[in-house]
Order: sequence, then structure tokens, then C-alpha cells
Amino acid sequence: MSFLLVLAPLAPLAMLFALAWPKVRATVQRLLWAAPLPALLVALLLGHVPPLVADAGGLRLTLLLDAPGALLLGGAALLWGAAGLYARAYLGDQPRFAAWWLLTQSGSLGVFIAGDLGSFYLAFAVASLAGFGLVVQDGTAAAVRAGALYLFLAVLGEIALLLGFALLATAAPGDSIAIADVVPPLATYPGGHITALLLVLGFGLKMGLVPLHVWLPVAHPAAPMPASAVLSGVIVKAGVIGLIRFLPDDGAPAGWGMALTVIGFLTAYWGVAAGLTQRNPKTVLAYSTVSQMGVVGAVLGMGIVLGIADGGLHAAFYALHHMLAKGALFLGVGVALASGRESRRWVLPLALLLALGFGGLPPTGGALAKAAVKDELGAGLAAWCAALSAFGSTLLMLHFVRRVTEAAGEGHAARPAPGLLWPWLGLGGAALLLPWALLPMVGADAGKMWSMAAIAPVLLGAALSWPWMRWADRVPALPEGDLLVLAKRGAAPREALGRAILRFEMLFRPWPAAGLSLLGVVLALIAAMAAARS
Amino acid sequence: MTATTQGGWLLVMALTLPAGAMLLAFVAGGRHARTISLAALGLWLVIAFAIAAQVQSGGAPLSYVIGGWQPPLGMALRADGLSAAMLLTGAVVLLAVALFGRTPYDTPRGAPESRAAYAFWCFVPALAASLAAAFLGGDLFNLFVALEMLTFTALALACLDGRPSQFKSELRYLLFALIGSVLYLLGTGLLYGAYGTLDIALLAGRTRADAPTMVAGALMTAGLIAKMALFPLHLWLPPAHAGAPAAASALLSGLVVKGAFVLLLRLWFWVLPAPFVLGGASVLAALGATAIVVGSVVALRQERLKLLVAYSTVAQMGYLFLMFPLLAAADAETASRAWLGGVLQAISHALAKAAMFLGAGLVAASLGHDRVNALGGAARAMPVTVIAFALGGLSLMGLPPSGGFSAKWLLLRASVETGQWWWSLVILAGGLLTGGYVYRIVAAALSAPAPGCMARPVPRAQEYCVLALAVASMLLGVLPLYAFGLVRVGAP
Repeated sequence: MSFLLVLAPLAPLAMLFALAWPKVRATVQRLLWAAPLPALLVALLLGHVPPLVADAGGLRLTLLLDAPGALLLGGAALLWGAAGLYARAYLGDQPRFAAWWLLTQSGSLGVFIAGDLGSFYLAFAVASLAGFGLVVQDGTAAAVRAGALYLFLAVLGEIALLLGFALLATAAPGDSIAIADVVPPLATYPGGHITALLLVLGFGLKMGLVPLHVWLPVAHPAAPMPASAVLSGVIVKAGVIGLIRFLPDDGAPAGWGMALTVIGFLTAYWGVAAGLTQRNPKTVLAYSTVSQMGVVGAVLGMGIVLGIADGGLHAAFYALHHMLAKGALFLGVGVALASGRESRRWVLPLALLLALGFGGLPPTGGALAKAAVKDELGAGLAAWCAALSAFGSTLLMLHFVRRVTEAAGEGHAARPAPGLLWPWLGLGGAALLLPWALLPMVGADAGKMWSMAAIAPVLLGAALSWPWMRWADRVPALPEGDLLVLAKRGAAPREALGRAILRFEMLFRPWPAAGLSLLGVVLALIAAMAAARS
Repeated sequence: MTATTQGGWLLVMALTLPAGAMLLAFVAGGRHARTISLAALGLWLVIAFAIAAQVQSGGAPLSYVIGGWQPPLGMALRADGLSAAMLLTGAVVLLAVALFGRTPYDTPRGAPESRAAYAFWCFVPALAASLAAAFLGGDLFNLFVALEMLTFTALALACLDGRPSQFKSELRYLLFALIGSVLYLLGTGLLYGAYGTLDIALLAGRTRADAPTMVAGALMTAGLIAKMALFPLHLWLPPAHAGAPAAASALLSGLVVKGAFVLLLRLWFWVLPAPFVLGGASVLAALGATAIVVGSVVALRQERLKLLVAYSTVAQMGYLFLMFPLLAAADAETASRAWLGGVLQAISHALAKAAMFLGAGLVAASLGHDRVNALGGAARAMPVTVIAFALGGLSLMGLPPSGGFSAKWLLLRASVETGQWWWSLVILAGGLLTGGYVYRIVAAALSAPAPGCMARPVPRAQEYCVLALAVASMLLGVLPLYAFGLVRVGAP
């Protein structure tokens, strides 16, 4: 059965290669939704799929399916499928888009089952870099700028991870590159703190932890709807699975659990505060993703602090709900824009329900997600911080519902195409119901969601959202990607540095300089060798 | 004592086949020159493959003693893992470039023979012969001769168009290469005076850490790095490589500079005594690191595509020098990683850079210019070329699964393991800067064409040659590791 694991990333890849063949190009595009089906099948077979270990000439590659991986893989497959169906109706025939779509998908599905440094890095890199094609699909100036920023930060993340992985591989005994072998020594390795820092940088960039979140609010609004849905739903989860795999509760160097918790909550509040000032509903959603990923970071951090063995599983469950609900909300923005006043009445309630789920309104899937992380965020200061973030999320999501109402299409009787409507309804239904079905996996107590501590933040958020409706338009909007403003200030010094290096290089271009350099090289070599001899 | 090993005749074939083909092509001329050349290069690839297979399966270097005369009186050809891998790379690149050259250097039936086509088909096998001599030679003086042959054939190929501006930049190349040769020859003389032989195997382990050896080592190294255009001796490379026709640029940047690289490795890790290697290696690596940063930043600021790609060569050559201090200061396992990383970098750069120069040539031919900021529409007119160019760029950046990734990963690990972590920062910063200039080109090519921009279609066959090279460089990283065992055969 374990060969099925390979199919998860290979099926989209095979369809990508089929695109190059003109005869089947149209068929492949029609079947875009089917590409993640093998991954969904694999996720459903959790517990029946032994790890796949391939010895590729001295290098041992591992694919494995564990509970957190299966949750995220299954959720990702559902979202990719629904968004693929939606993309067909939304964009029509776009072979180039389909190519980027399938490549990104292959990497993003692979990352959840990769069990060694090599395949993890490969899948992670493919998912991050190919996402560029999804961001720039619309070809507008804003999309191109967003794509450049996305790519720059993605490469930066890759670099941090590459160095982190090199440190991991060096610290591990023997030649194995399996994650199970390289991670345990991390806690006691003298360079462990630097390694952990590099890993948090790389994965935090993908998840959007402050201050590395700047790409999300820029890239998500620029991409077409189905692409935003997968970027926000699936791609950011590559960072989550990375933290789950590489900073387990017993493997992180001391102090990193607390650091991750603090960064996580900071991100959660930052996302809410910045999102509340936004006008574009997609930007609001992007900031909500930032905020929610902050919560996931805090869950993982507290899991490390408290030494909860299932911390990763709980975080994955929380992330699964976010995946489905956020994907559905992004698709919903497109549905709302295509609906006239008449049909919008039917569209908004589901959006509202999904939105309030993020605050923890029972009995939505979101409330279950919050109940699942009670072990981590249920007591002490963390509980208060979590309640504050739930309150903020409610406020932010109601702000989103209002923005989407304002932005929705003008015509009276326009109805969304069925190709847009059904994937959205399906995904929204999954977000509400699937967490119920999967609850036994995490063993959370569903009764907890009815507690006053869980409901109060939602009520308070809802109550305050009325005054915020009045205020929101008076608050100046933060520029998308808030902290990016600071990066722009660095443009002039960067330019000056570039010019200085160019001038430095020009010094060596004339002949006399070249002759002198040659002499200098000979003398330097002699001096270095003489110094080594004595 | 060197003896002819089983399969040693393959080495003689690798050397004589292209040399013979050059002579034949020279005599036959016209359409026949092309046929002879292509056939010889195809066969040469088979031979290179056979040599690699033999070295790999035997796990020991091949050698052939010419005429049965033992060195130091006679001469020996040797192929260890390094030679075999470089020879194979050379054969792949040369064949791809020759196939690419079928279109521009075509002599239609009945048409008079053109000077450029005639020269191209004679000098391409000549380059193959010089490369074989440089990779297989076992004696420092023979290697000098090989290096000179390499310089002169490269020069002839670079001047193929016969434009005056070309002569100017190629003359600069020639002068600088000759200065390098003089320095190298001077060092060889010193070594001969001190040890009475120039055979590498005989010198190995016998050299003393004394003043003549030191001066010889410094002079020869300076000469070789002048030929490799290591910063700050790079002034000749950008104009020479950018000014040459596409096929020649690909060979110059991909292969010719690698000839001097192999020689430098032989000098440092076979001939020079260990204390000198330990001392001098950091100088080389420091220059290499400067080359990576300065070359990449300057590439980022170029306006012309071909100059950009040429400056990228300056930067990428820098990576080759990072292996020196890592090899010098490491235990056996780490040293083997550094060795493999360095050689892999040379191979993947050869493939990727050849693809990028050929691609740049196609773009220039199609658009009629090579201004980076005006490449709009190129992706629409020639998607295959742009994809190939991007794949080559990804390999240079060091993204998986490319050969460049494996190379940089191995160098990174070696630098961490030897505690010389500062080199890893350079490797990573170089990757980021490389990403910058690759992005600039690819983004420009993907953008909408400027009004009035006419992109002529380019021959599909040429595009596929470019793609083949880029894909080869990309797939180098997924070769199973035992294939890399080849490079370790006979490593220092």
C-alpha cells in the first residue's frame, strides 16, 4: 500500500507533463479538480499505509503518513479539489495557470508526507516557488509587484531552511537524513539555537508570523480567487507542518517554546489590528490568515512549553479547520461578487457562519478547533491571550462580512454560476462538519465549546462590531503589508551600495589595475604560504 | 610506477579521435566538415561514457603509458574520477553546442563554403581534443600545452563573426591568457629545476615545503586563475564571452575555463605540499567569495543580457574556489563532501551556463537586441528557450533538484563541519543575488511585448538543444548518489 504515498505528489505532476501534449491539454484542464484525489485517498487510509523508504544509491528517502500529516494532507486535497473545480468556472481555459497550479499542488501535497530532509526541502521549495505563478496570474502591475515580493521572500525562506537543514544534518549522528533521526539531537546540540532560529525564520515566513507576514496581505489580494484560496489555505500550512516536524515538543532547544508562543500571540493580535483597517475583503481575509497562523504558532509553542506529546496533532487539527474555512471564504468572495442583491441573501449567511467560526461560535467546526487546543491554551495567561485573540478574530471576521457586503456585485438578479457556487458550498459544508467527524482523532471534549470562556469572546466581539462598523471608515487604512513601508525606506541605501560595488569592480577593469592585481595575487599567495610554513 | 591499465586505449581514442576529425574536416571542408565533426563528437561522447563507466566500475583510475616509456622519460595519460566526469560533461556540452550550431553554420547544398562555417566545424573538434588533453594529461608540461591549445581554439571560435569589436575584446583575452601562460610556464620551470620531473604522479608526495616550490606554486596558481577570470583578474572575461557568437560563448563559459580549473586542482591537491595548501587556500577562497558577491551584484546591474550572463560566470567561478580551504582543513569524510561539491559545481555550471548562453543567443537573434529591460514578449515567441533559460538559472541559484543544489548543499555542509561557517554565508548570499538577476531576466521575458516589437520565430531544433542542456543540469541533482562515486575515484 505504501506506493500510494508517491501518487499524492506524482499525480499532479503527471498531469502537468500531460499539459505539454496538445491533444490532451483540454482534458487535463477539465480534470484539474481530480489531481488531488490520490492524496485524499492516501489521507483516508491513515494507519494502513506503512512508510515508504527508498534507498536511492546511498541516500535514504522516506515518505510517511502520520496523524498530523494525514489531517493536513486530506484537508489540502479537499481544498485543492474544490478550488480546482472553481478555477475552471472562474478562469476558463488557461493552460499556463493550470501548469503553475499543478506544480504548486504537487509540492504542497508532498510536503505533508515527506519524511526526510531531501524530499521535504524539495517539496517545500516547489510549493513555495511555483506559488509565484499563481500570484502573478492576472498580469496586472500590482500582481507583478506582489509576485516579486513573494518570490524574494520565498527564496529568503529557502536559504534560511537550507542552512538550518545543513546544521541539522551535521549535528545528526551517522549519514541518515530522515527527519526522525536528525531532529532529536537538536535539543542538546551546541548550535541548536541558531538552527532553531533558522527553522523558525524559514517556516515562519511561510506561515506569516510577524514580522515575516508582509507577503500575505500583498500576494493574496493580487491573486485570482481560487489561487488566493489555496495560497491562504494550503501554502501557509507548509510552514505549519515544518514547525510540527522540526520543533517537536521534546526536540526544541530550551526557550524556543516560549519564544514561539510570544511571537504567535503577537502575530495573532497584529493580524487583527491591521486587518480591521482594511477596505478590500480579500486583504481582510489575508490578515485573518496571519492572525490565525499566529494562534497555531502559539499552540505549537505552548505544546513545547508544557511538553504535550500531541501538540502537533492539535495544531494540525486547528490548521485543518482554518484550511477549509479560509478556502471557502475566499471562494465565497468570488461568489458574492457574482451575485446580485436578490441572491446575496442566500450567500451571506454561510459566509457569516464560517466567519464566526473563527471566533469559536459553537457548534461550528471552528469551535471544535478551539476546543482541540484547550490542552495548550486552556489555562493561565495563555487562556486569557487566546480569549483575546478569539474576540479579535470575531471582530475581524464581522468586519470582513461587512466589507464583502459592500463590495458585492451591483446587478439585482445576477446569480453565481453553478461552477462557482457548488465548490464553495461543498467546502463551506466541509469546514462546518468535517471537524465533527474527525474529533475522535484528537480526543477533544466537544462539551468545552459551550463553556462561558469559549462563548464570551464571540459575544463580546459581535457586540463591539456594531460600533466598529461606524468607525471603520474613519480609520485610515494601513498599507497592505504594513511593515513593507520600512523596507521601501531601505531602497536608497541599497541602490547606493549596489552602485558602490559596481564602482569597486570598475577599478579593476583597466589594464594597469589588472597587472597590479596579478602581482598582488602572486604576493598574497606567497605570503600566505610562507606564513603557513613557518 | 605507472602502467597501462585495462581500457587504457580509450584514453588514446579520446585524444586522437577529435584531433583526427579536425584534420579530416580541415581537408574535406564544406558540408563534409559538418558531417565529420558531428559524427566525431557523437563518437566522442560514447568514448567519454565508456571511460566513465570503466573508472566507475573498476573504482580505480585508468592510465596509458605512451609508447611504453615510463615517466619521467615518457608521457602518461591518466583518467581518474575527476577527468572522467569532466570529459563526460565536455562531451555532452560540445555535442549539444554542435547540434545547436547546425543551423547558423549550415552550408546549403551548392552554396559556396563560408569562412565562419568552415572554421566552426574545424575548431569544435579541435576544442574537444584540447579538452581531452587538458583533462587526461598526467604531466604539468603537457597540461600547459593543452591549455594553450584550449586558449587558441577558443579564441578562433570567439572571433568567428569577424567583427572588429570582437577582435578588440578577444585580443584582450589573448593577451591576458598569454600572461597567465607565461606565469604558469615560469613556475613549471622552477619545479622542473627542483625535482627533475613534471609528472604529477611522481611529484605527488615528493614536493618539499621550500622557497622554490612556494614561488612556483604561487606563479602557476596566479597564471591559472588569470585564465579562469577569478576576481580581480576578470577584466577580460565579460567582453570576451559576451562578444563571441552564442555557440562560442557557451563553450568559453561552460568548458574552456574549466580546463584551467582541473589543472589548478591537480596542482594544489597533488603537487603542492600540505602546509602550502593549508596556507594559500584561504587566499583563493577569499578571492572566490569576493567574486561571488561582486560578480553577482554587477550582473544584477547589467543592461545587456549577454554581459549579464558573462558576469554571472565571474560570480559562479568564485564558488569553485570555496572548496579549497574546506578540502585542506577537513577530515576524510568532509573532504570528500567538499571535493564532490566543488566538482559538481563545475559540472552543473558548465551545463547550465552553456544553456543560458545559447538561450541568450536565440533571444538576441529573435528580438534583434539583447537589452534586458526590453525582453517583453520573448516568452510568447519562444517558450521553450525561456523555460530552458529559467531552468539553467534555477540550477545556478542552487534550487533542488538541480546539480547546483547538490553542489551547494555539499559545500554548505562541509563549511559547517569544518567550522568555517562564514563561507556558507557567502554561498547563500550568492544564491539570493543569483535569484535576483535570473528573476530580472525571466520576469522581463514573461512581460507583455512592447508595441512594435517583432519577435522572429527561432528554429525548434535549436531550442531543444538549449532545453536538453538545461534539463541535464537540472537532473544532475537527482542522479543517484553512486553515480557521484565516480568523482571520488582517485580523489586526493
